Amino acid sequence: MLAELRVLDCSDESGFLAGKILGDLGADVVKVEPPGGDRDGRRPPYLAGVVDPERSLSWLALNTSKRGITLDLERAAGRSAFRRLLAWADVLLDTFAPGTLDAWGFGWDTLHAEHPRLVRCAITPFGQTGPHAPFRARDLVVVAMGGNAAMTGDSDRPPLRCTMPTAYYHAAPEAVLGILMALHARAASGRGQQVDVSLQETQLSTLLGGPGIHGNVVPPPRRCGARTGGTRDVWPAGDGHVSFDLRGGAARVPALGALVAWMSETGDAPEWLRSQAWEHFDPNALDAAALDRLEAAFGAFFAARSMRELYAGALARRIPLAPCNDAREVLAQPQLRDRALFTTIEYPELGAAVEHPAFFAKASRAEIGLRRRAPRIGEDNDAVYREAGFTREEIEKLAAEGAL
Amino acid sequence: MGARGVYAGLHILELGAGAAGSVATRYFVEQGATVLRIESSARPDFLRMLHAKPGEPVDVDAAPIFALLNPDKWSVALDLEKPAARALALRLVDWADVVTQHFAPGAMETLGLGAEQLLARKPELIVVTSSLFGHTDPHCHDPRLGGQGAAIAGFHHLTGWPDREALGPYGTITDSLSPRYVALLIAAALLDRGRHGVGQHIDVSQIETGVYSLSEWIVRASANGEGLARAGNRQAGAAPHGIYPCAGDDAWIAISVFDDAAWQALVAAMGSPAWAQDARFVGALGREANQADIDRALAAWTRGESAYALMAKLQAAGVAAGVVQEFRHLLRDPQLAHRRHFTTLDHAALGPLPYERAGFRLSESPGGFEDSGPLLGEDNDVVLGEILGLSEDEIARLAAEGVIA
Repeated sequence: MLAELRVLDCSDESGFLAGKILGDLGADVVKVEPPGGDRDGRRPPYLAGVVDPERSLSWLALNTSKRGITLDLERAAGRSAFRRLLAWADVLLDTFAPGTLDAWGFGWDTLHAEHPRLVRCAITPFGQTGPHAPFRARDLVVVAMGGNAAMTGDSDRPPLRCTMPTAYYHAAPEAVLGILMALHARAASGRGQQVDVSLQETQLSTLLGGPGIHGNVVPPPRRCGARTGGTRDVWPAGDGHVSFDLRGGAARVPALGALVAWMSETGDAPEWLRSQAWEHFDPNALDAAALDRLEAAFGAFFAARSMRELYAGALARRIPLAPCNDAREVLAQPQLRDRALFTTIEYPELGAAVEHPAFFAKASRAEIGLRRRAPRIGEDNDAVYREAGFTREEIEKLAAEGAL
Repeated sequence: MGARGVYAGLHILELGAGAAGSVATRYFVEQGATVLRIESSARPDFLRMLHAKPGEPVDVDAAPIFALLNPDKWSVALDLEKPAARALALRLVDWADVVTQHFAPGAMETLGLGAEQLLARKPELIVVTSSLFGHTDPHCHDPRLGGQGAAIAGFHHLTGWPDREALGPYGTITDSLSPRYVALLIAAALLDRGRHGVGQHIDVSQIETGVYSLSEWIVRASANGEGLARAGNRQAGAAPHGIYPCAGDDAWIAISVFDDAAWQALVAAMGSPAWAQDARFVGALGREANQADIDRALAAWTRGESAYALMAKLQAAGVAAGVVQEFRHLLRDPQLAHRRHFTTLDHAALGPLPYERAGFRLSESPGGFEDSGPLLGEDNDVVLGEILGLSEDEIARLAAEGVIA
C-alpha cells in the first residue's frame, strides 16, 4: 500500500517495529546502522547460541522487510552523507535523544528548511520538549510512568511489567499512524512535518480511560493479581493456565451455565453449584466465603485438566475460555495456522529456517506482510547510496574514512 | 469540531461495540474527521452498560468509559433489525469515506451491510473489519472475549512472577494494540485511495496484531526452541532492573541499569555505600549473576526515599528511573500536562471529565477534541435531517415505527 515511500530508519529497539510495519506495508525502508552493526540492537539471544551480531534473534525478528546500510553518525563525514540521504527519503524515523539533531547542526527547523517535504518521526521516552524530555527510560521505566505497571501484579509484591517490551509495541503502530497522517497532510500541502511520539503517552491508552474513570476514586484502585475487581480471571490448569472470567454481567450467564453443565457431566459439580441461579449472578455481590467456594469448585475442575482439553471442551460448549499460550503454543494455535499467520524464512548462511509472524492484517488491494529477511550489516550499502545519488568514488571515500 | 486537523472533511461511519473500535476512530476525530456511530437503544454498546449494577436500570448515557473513548463523535440510533433502518444505514454509507465494523463475523453480512456488499455498492469505500480472530478464520464464530485474546496471543504467559501464575498486563492488551493497527490501516488505505481512487476491505484480527507485536518472542521460540516465560521485572542484559519500594504507602520506583556508566552513577547517587563496592558487582555479567543481592540492598535504600524526589535525583545523575504512577498521578504529571494530554470536556450526564489524546503530536496539525462522547442517538436530527435530508415529519414517523431507536 505504501509502494514508492522511502523511509530512513535510524531507530533503536524502541522503533524497530515501527519501521517493520512500514516495510510490511510496502514502503522501501532502509535501516541505518553504525559501522560494524548496531551493537545494542543486535543483542542476545543469538541463533543457536552462537554469539554473532548477524545471528541476533531480536534483530532478525524486528527488522524484516527492510534494507540495511551502515553510516557513522558520530563523524562529520557521516553526518554530511546523512544529510544527502535525507534528500532521498520521504520519512526519517529516529529515536535520537531530544536535542541530538540540533547538536549536529540540523535540528528540525533546519531539516524542514532543507527538505520541506520530509516527514520526521521521532520516538522518545517522553517527547521532544517538556520537563521530562531529557529523562532516560527504556521499557520498564516507561511502563511505570505510563500507569500500566501500577495496576499489574500481585498485591503483595511490587508492580510488574510484561517480560517483553509492550511500551515499544504500543508506540510502534502509533508512530506509523502519525507518519501516515503527516503524509496525508503533505499530499495536500506539499510540506512535511515532525511527528513527536512520546512512549509514555502512547502507554496511557492501555488504561482505556482509567485516569478519567478512577483518577479521583478514594481509596485509589490497586493491582490485584489474576483478578479483575474481586474475581479471578486466570486459573491454574493441569499444565499451565487458562483465562476465564466470572464477571461480565448478563453476557456471561450462558457461559457460566454451560460450564456448570459440563462439570455436571463429569461429576464435578456439587449440588449447591448445580442449583445456582445464574440469571442474576453478580460476582461483586458475593461475600468472600461464597466467592471462595465458587472459585474452589471451578478451580478444581480446571486444575484437573490440561489447557488443550479445557479449550476444546469450551469451544464445543461456546464457553469463552482460552489457554494462556507460551510461544510454542502460539505457533501451534490452529486458528492462526489456518490463517497462515506464520511464514518460514530460510537463513542459508546460518543453516537455519525460522518461523516469523507474516502479517498484521489482510487487505483486498495489497499483500500486507513480510517481504524479506532482516538485512545483514551493510548489506545494501552500494545499492542505496547509489540510488541516493552518491558516486562510486564517493562511496569508496566514505568507506575509506571508516564512515560506512 | 473545527476545520483544523489533517482529516477535516473526512467521514467515518462506525458500527460495533467495545473499546477497540472506539479507540481506532478516535485518532481521526482528534485530527478533524467526522465520526458517526450507528447505535441501538435495544442493543446498546456494552461499554455503555459497564458501570451498571446487575438488576438496576441502566442509564446508557452515564458510562464514563464510553464517553471517554468516544469524544467528538456523533451518535445516531437505528434499529438495524428493521429494513427501513438498514436502508438509512446504506445511505449513510454513501456519505462515508470509511466504514469500520467491530462485530462478530457474519453479523453485518446478514444485515446486508457486509464489507463486500458495501464495496459492491461503493468501490471507493474503505471498509475495515476487526474481530478477535479475523473474518476469514473458519473458527471465527468461537465464543471469546478480549481477555481471552490476550491469553491466546501469549501476553498472560509473559506477565507475572516466575514462581506464580500468569497474570497478563492490566487492561486488555489486544484491545489496546489492535485499534492502533486498525487506525494506521485506515490511514494507509486513505493514502492509497488518494493516489488510485479506489477503496478496499481490510480485515484485522486482534489476536494476530498481538502475535505480530510479539514477533521477537515467536522467532526466539521457533529458532532456538526457547520458551521465554514471565520473569517478574527482570531483563536479560540489565541489572539492576526492577521496581523498588519507596517511602509511603504502596509507593514504588522503576530503575533500570544497562551499562557500567549507569551503575556507577547509581552507586554515586546512593552515596557510594560499602555494599555496592562488592567485586561481584563489577561488570554487567557480575551484576546480572548477583542481582538478587543487589535488589535487596537497593530496595533497603530506596525504601527511605520519596519516590518523585528519588526519580529527579537519579535522572539528574543519568540513571533511568521512573515513579510507578497510578491513575491519580497521571492527572497531575507535568510532562503529560506539557503535552496537553488531557482535555477537560463537559458531558451532559457525567459532568466534566479528562479526555485523552493520542501519544504523538504533529508539528503543523495540532488537532484536539471539543466535545464529550455522545448520548445515545444525540445526533439523530442532524444526521437524518441535514445529512440524509429527511423532513421532521419523516423523522417523527420513523421514530414512531421504531426505526430510529
